[in-house]
Amino acid sequence: MGVRSLAKATSLAEKGGVEDLAARLAAAEEALAEEVRRSRALNRIAEAIGAGHDAETLVQTVVDGGVELTGAQFGAFFYKVVDQAGESLMLYSLSGAPRSAFEAFPTPRGTAVFAPTFRGEGVVRSDDITRDPRYGRTSPHYGMPEGHLPVRSYLAVPVVTRAGAVLGGLFFGHPQPGRFGPRAESLAVGLAGQAAVAIESARTQEAAQAELTQRRDAEERLKFALEAGRLGSWELDVETRAYLASDICKANYGRAPGDDFGFADLVASVHPDDRPRMIAAIEDAIRHGADYDIEYRVRRPDGEVRWVHARGRAAQTADHGGARRMAGVSLDVTERKRAEERQKLLVNELNHRVKNTLVSVQSIASQTLRTTDSPEAFRDAFEGRIMALSHTHDLLTQQNWQGASLREIFDFELEAFAARDRIAFDYARDVQLSPKATVALGMAVHELATNALKYGALSVPGGGVRVTWEPEPDDSGALRLTWAEHGGPPVVPPRRHGFGARLLEKGLAGELSAQVALAYDSLGLVCTMKLPTRALEP
Amino acid sequence: MKTLAALKVLVVEDEALVSMLVEDMLSDLGCVIVGPAAELDEALRLAAAADIDAALLDVNLGGRPIFPVADALKERGVPFAFASGYGEAGLSEGHKGATVLQKPFREADLRKVLEGLAAQSV
Repeated sequence: MGVRSLAKATSLAEKGGVEDLAARLAAAEEALAEEVRRSRALNRIAEAIGAGHDAETLVQTVVDGGVELTGAQFGAFFYKVVDQAGESLMLYSLSGAPRSAFEAFPTPRGTAVFAPTFRGEGVVRSDDITRDPRYGRTSPHYGMPEGHLPVRSYLAVPVVTRAGAVLGGLFFGHPQPGRFGPRAESLAVGLAGQAAVAIESARTQEAAQAELTQRRDAEERLKFALEAGRLGSWELDVETRAYLASDICKANYGRAPGDDFGFADLVASVHPDDRPRMIAAIEDAIRHGADYDIEYRVRRPDGEVRWVHARGRAAQTADHGGARRMAGVSLDVTERKRAEERQKLLVNELNHRVKNTLVSVQSIASQTLRTTDSPEAFRDAFEGRIMALSHTHDLLTQQNWQGASLREIFDFELEAFAARDRIAFDYARDVQLSPKATVALGMAVHELATNALKYGALSVPGGGVRVTWEPEPDDSGALRLTWAEHGGPPVVPPRRHGFGARLLEKGLAGELSAQVALAYDSLGLVCTMKLPTRALEP
Repeated sequence: MKTLAALKVLVVEDEALVSMLVEDMLSDLGCVIVGPAAELDEALRLAAAADIDAALLDVNLGGRPIFPVADALKERGVPFAFASGYGEAGLSEGHKGATVLQKPFREADLRKVLEGLAAQSV
């Protein structure tokens, strides 16, 4: 149009005289300048759209450009929101007026003036909207609310996607009538088309970005949870057998994060005894959709064998034609497995000890019965021996069954013994005994003390016992323990071999490979034990 | 086939009280006691060379399994029974199915086991 205006101006100058020429030339130059300005505005808009800004910046550029192109004083973009309350219009961008110019008013509604725009029916262009037949027909305002921007010239263009969805509308206004011609209208329509494409693509991009962020966050949370639970994660492509393992998963098999760890490596690292079971479980999960839930031993590259618990599931394809991929987690459960094994061993060991203790009690009962003359005597002796056994167990439990020292054995067995202050000790160094020796010697001490109290040195006032121990002089490393009674009644060797003597002479000899001698010295009983090194030191 | 009377029985047991009980029971049954051995070396020596008709073996000898002694007896064709608080669960693979005298046991249980051993003894 610029060139045509110039031609028109030239021809007029020829007809009307030279004096008009300067004025007309000036008008033509102004028209040209205006055209250049519009063209620049269009360029700016095109650039903005091409630059891929976010929807808000884009729309603002379009509205600003629209105001410039149409010569409006105000421009706005309202977009359509559909929610539970129905359709409503929200102010999105504004140009030529402060945002506060609209904030006081309720959102535009489907009045006769606005409806064609928001229904996407077409352009509404009016030289003076206040004189438009559609104007002022809707309550409560019947026209513009009080304080509204003074709009007379009005141009409204729906912003519609290619698919026909109405995104909103571009509105331009001017306080003076007759400002928007067909040219302004066609510019605005063109802009609206550009805006629709730009908004749509920006929204798609924003939605994609939001989804990406959401997924990244979810993945981050999952990774955190997996790491906190020391859970490795893995994925298996059923057809290609491509295997993907997380760093923790690799660590469960003794691999570093950077190591290659494929399906063949996985299978090879499973203990040969557990491998068939593991492969069968994977096949079952793939073929029949069974839960993959298995514990197996893993041999790490450094040779260490550890336990891994793997769980997973095969994802069925949409047509149920089988699984394409399998995914799951892995956890190192070695500590738990070891604890279970320890517990099993402990229970077995406990059972063994209880059974052996019952046999010991049975033995004590049987032998006490053979060597006592009355039920009262039986009861007295039997109870004393059971208590002795019990004291030894207390002592060993206190020491966590690691054994006990010789002095501790005497102290425990004699704790409730009436004449304990008449037993004197003489030794340079206390010695540690094995649990087995502790049990055997505990019973021996009980027998010696009971015998002394009944028949020996402790049965009369003034009598006493001297307990000594020292290394054997023969350098064998064995220990010589002596129980020597003095000040008792005249000693007579017993008529029959009692339980105590048998236990000391034969039992200890057998159990500890000890050499035990009972001497019925005139001063009192002397028991000498040569305890070999293997009975000492647990 | 032999009877219990004068049956020569090797006893391997490391706990004095248990050993004493077994000895008493065997004496009551009229058997002749060989041992008792409380240590593996002694038990192996007796199992290989002693004049015995049968053997009663404690499964756990001071923390060491008794099975080498059982193997030696098997070699010689001497029938034996294990005495164990574990029952059959405490036996090694090679000796599953062997006669087990479950601890604790009565004299009658021991007699039954010994009669079974005597029946195998030649």
